[in-house]
Amino acid sequence: MRFHRSLLCLAVAAASVVPATAFARIKLITLPVRERVEIQLDNPNATLVEEERIVPLVRGVNQVDFSWANTQIDPGTIVFRVVGGAAKADAKAEAKATDPLDVKVLSVSYPPNEASLVWQVSSNGSGGARVRISYLLGNMNKSFNYRATASNDEKTLVLSEYMRIQNLANESFGSSGLWAGFGPRFLKPIGINETKEMLVEKFAEVPVKKTYTCDPQAHGYLDRPQNKLMVPMHYVLTNNKANRLGAAPLQYGKVRIFQEDGHGGTAFIGEDWGKFTPLDDEMRLYVGVAQDIVVRRTIDKNEVHRIAGNLYNREVVVKYEIENFKDKAAVLDVSENVRAIRNEVAGDTGRDVQWELDKATTFDGGPDKEKSTFEQLLYHVSLPARGADGKADKIVHKLHLLIKNEW
Amino acid sequence: MLRIIQFFFLATILTIVAAHAENVDLSTVPSRNSVQLTIYNSEDLTLVRETRKVSFKPGANPLQFSWANTLIDPTSVELRFLSHADKLTVLDATFPHAKPQMLIWNVQSEIDGDAVIEITYFTSGIHWSADYVCLADAEEAHANVDGFVRVSNDSGEEYEDAQVRLVVGKINLVEKVAQLARALERDGRQLDKLGRSELRYKALKDYDKKEADASYAYGYAHSGALGGRFQIEKPKEVAKEGLGEYFIYTIEGTETIPSGWSKRLRSLEAANVPLKIQYRYRPAEYGEQLVRMYLLTNNKESKLGTTPLPDGTVRVFRHNGRDGLSYVASQAIQYVPIGDKIELKLGVDPEVIFELVKKRTWRDAIWMQINGTNVLDRVDRPDVKIDINSSVVGWDDHRAYARRVRNYTEKPIDLEVRHAIPGDVVFRSEFAAKNHDYQTVEYAATVQPSKTADLAYEIVQHQGRNAKQNRLVIQSATVRSSK
Repeated sequence: MRFHRSLLCLAVAAASVVPATAFARIKLITLPVRERVEIQLDNPNATLVEEERIVPLVRGVNQVDFSWANTQIDPGTIVFRVVGGAAKADAKAEAKATDPLDVKVLSVSYPPNEASLVWQVSSNGSGGARVRISYLLGNMNKSFNYRATASNDEKTLVLSEYMRIQNLANESFGSSGLWAGFGPRFLKPIGINETKEMLVEKFAEVPVKKTYTCDPQAHGYLDRPQNKLMVPMHYVLTNNKANRLGAAPLQYGKVRIFQEDGHGGTAFIGEDWGKFTPLDDEMRLYVGVAQDIVVRRTIDKNEVHRIAGNLYNREVVVKYEIENFKDKAAVLDVSENVRAIRNEVAGDTGRDVQWELDKATTFDGGPDKEKSTFEQLLYHVSLPARGADGKADKIVHKLHLLIKNEW
Repeated sequence: MLRIIQFFFLATILTIVAAHAENVDLSTVPSRNSVQLTIYNSEDLTLVRETRKVSFKPGANPLQFSWANTLIDPTSVELRFLSHADKLTVLDATFPHAKPQMLIWNVQSEIDGDAVIEITYFTSGIHWSADYVCLADAEEAHANVDGFVRVSNDSGEEYEDAQVRLVVGKINLVEKVAQLARALERDGRQLDKLGRSELRYKALKDYDKKEADASYAYGYAHSGALGGRFQIEKPKEVAKEGLGEYFIYTIEGTETIPSGWSKRLRSLEAANVPLKIQYRYRPAEYGEQLVRMYLLTNNKESKLGTTPLPDGTVRVFRHNGRDGLSYVASQAIQYVPIGDKIELKLGVDPEVIFELVKKRTWRDAIWMQINGTNVLDRVDRPDVKIDINSSVVGWDDHRAYARRVRNYTEKPIDLEVRHAIPGDVVFRSEFAAKNHDYQTVEYAATVQPSKTADLAYEIVQHQGRNAKQNRLVIQSATVRSSK
C-alpha cells in the first residue's frame, strides 16, 4: 500500500470544466517541504502533530490544498495558523521588502470522497508565509517502561524511565521534536512502522524499601488448607524529591527489575506493571513471592453477644503464626480489611462495619497511622533472622475486634 | 447521482391535465437569477428561494418545474410573482401521474412580456454545523476563540452563487422533509434519468456556465466550490441577527457549494477571552473523577456575546510554552445563549489528586420492635431492657469522611464538589455547604499550591423507621472522625 501525503500550494491553476458528477481537479502546484515538525505526546489520549512549512503565496487569493491518504488524521482537528511571513518578494521599494505578509484564511472546503481539504488564503503580497498546520494523528502510540537496577544490598536502585513511540500512522516524519509533556524534548526522525525508544529520565541512588506483606484480601493464600498466606515481596519507591524522584508523576508502564550480583553483573529478579504514581505516592512493585516467611492465619474466636432481639455484638480474634526462615531480619506488613473479616465470619450484611480494637490485640504500637484507613488496617511486625541452628522463632500475633451493632 | 432541477416554460400548447403523451414539444429554459438558501441545523431542512425571469403571453401559460434525483418536498413548492403580480394568476398546479418529480403550473397572464417569478421549496440534504477552536495562552488566563460554520451539500443539486443564511434554533416539523421527498419514490416509480430531460439539463448547464465562467478569475477546477474571486481578500463577514426564537447567520456575498462538497467559514473571532479554571467533582455529570474545566462566558465583557453559540464541537488547545500547542480536549457543547457560561471539560489533571478517605463509621439511635406488636423502644435509652423477641427496625448510620485534595500545580485551584446522597440524610461539616437540590450537596474550597486540603464531613443517614423523608439537611458542626 503506497502512502502519500503532501501539502500543496496552488500558484497557478489550469482551467477545467465543472461537470456535475465528477470534479476533475487539474491543477499546477508547488510542494512546500516541512521545515519543522513537533509531535506533542503530552495528551494521554491523542497525538498532536504540528508541522511548519513555508508556503509560497501570490498576491490575491491562493488555494492551499492539504491531503492525506492511508493515514488517520481527524480533519476536524486541523488548525492552520500563520506564524510569521517571509518578506514580500514583489515589493517595488526596498523598504517594503521586509514587510511581513498579511495572510488571512478565507474559508476551508472539503471535497467529496477525498481525504483532503482546501484552504482559501488571501495574501497582500507575494512571498513565502510560514504556516503551522496542527492535527491529531491516530496510530502514533506511546507507552512508558522502566528498567530498575537494585544495588546488591537492595537499599537503593537506579530507575530509568523510557518512552517508546510506535509509529503505525503510515506517515514518516523526518527530524521531529518529540515531547511527552515532561522531561526533555527529543529531536529524532521516525519512519513508518518504526518504534523508537528514548530515555526520558534516569534517577540514581533512589532509596528502595523492600516489604513483605500478607493481606488475605489482596494476595490470598499460598496454601489454603494449611491457612498459609501468600507473602509477596515488593520494592516500594516514593515519588518525591526526598527519595530522589518527584520530577513528575510516574507513568503507567512495565518495570523490569534487576539486581547487582556483586560480581559486576546483574540478575533479572522480576517485573511488574508500575501503576500511574502521582507525586508523593508510592509505586509498589511486586517482585516475587517470599517463601521463606511463613504466615498462618486462623480465626481464633468468633462469638456473638446479644444486645437485644436480633441485635448483637461480635467478637473476633484473628491469629497469625509467623516464622522467618531467612538469615536476615525482616519486617512483615500484616494488612487486614475489617469489613472482609466481618463478611468472612458472619456473611455480608451490606452495612458498614462499626468496630473497635479489643484487649487481646498484640501488635505493638497499633496500626500504621499514615497508611491505615478506617476499614484497612496495617501493622508492621519485626521478624528476627532464623537462629544459627536453622530454626526460626514462631511469633504469634492476634487481632482482636469487637464488631458492634450487627443484625 | 445526477441532480436535476429544471424549469421549463412550455411554449407549445400542451394538454396539461391529461397524461403527457406527446412526443414533440418545445420549451424554453429560464435560468436562475438568484438563489437564497436558508439552512436549519436542528432539522434536515433547507428553504430554497430562487428567482427567474419568464416571458408570458396573454392567456394560459403552462410552467413545468421538475426536480429529478433531488430531495425536494413536493408539497412545499410554491410560485409567486414578484412583478406584474396583479396580472398573473396561478389557476392550478398539476402533479402528473407519469412524472413523479414534476409539477405543472397553469398560469393565466394578462401581460405579453417578462415577469420575475419566485419559486420556493423545502429540500433536505443540505446541512450546516458549527465548530469552535479555543486556544488558551500558556498561563491559561485567556483564550482566543474562533467559531466556524460548515455547510455541507448532499442534496443532489448544485446551487451556484447562492446567498446562504443559517438558522440557529430548534424548529418544529410534523413530517420530515426527506421522507416527503422520497414518498413518491416509495411508490415504485422509476425516475427518468436519461432522455429528453437530460438533454434539457445539459442545455441549462451550458447556459448557466457562460455566466459562471465569466465570474471566475481563473478556471481552477473547483474554484466554484471555493467561491474564488481575487478581489476578495478578507474573510467573509457572517452577519448575525435575531428573529423570534431564532438567530440567523447571513454569509456575506454568495457561495457555491457543489453537491458532495462542504465548506467551512469563520463565523466569530474573539481574542483574549478571559478564562477561569475550576476543578469539579460532579459524578452525575462527569463520572467518578475530579475534572478540570475551562469556564468562559458568552458576553461582551468576555469579548464574545455577539451571538448565541450554536451546538457544535469545541476543540481546545493550549500554547505549551515551548513554541507549540498542546491538544487539551474536544467537547460537544449545546446551544449557549448570549450571557450564558461556556463550560469545557478538559479531563483529569494528574497534578491534582482527589481522594475520599473514610475516617469512621458507627451506628446509633437503634430502635427495636417487639415482634408481633407495635411496641418500639430505643436501645441506647438508659435503664431499658428490651425483649429478646424483638428486631431492629430503625437506626442512624454515621460515616465520617475526608475529601482529600493534593495540589501539585503551581497555582491555587478552585474546587467545587457536588454529589447526591440519597435518603433521609444530615450532612455535617465545618466548612460552608449548601443544597444544590433536595438530595445533593454542594461545597467549594481553594487549595493552595503544593498543599493538601482535607475537607472533613459526616453523613448521618436515617435508616428503617428513622427515615421520615427523602431530604438532605445541611448542618454546621464539628466532625468526629475518631471516637
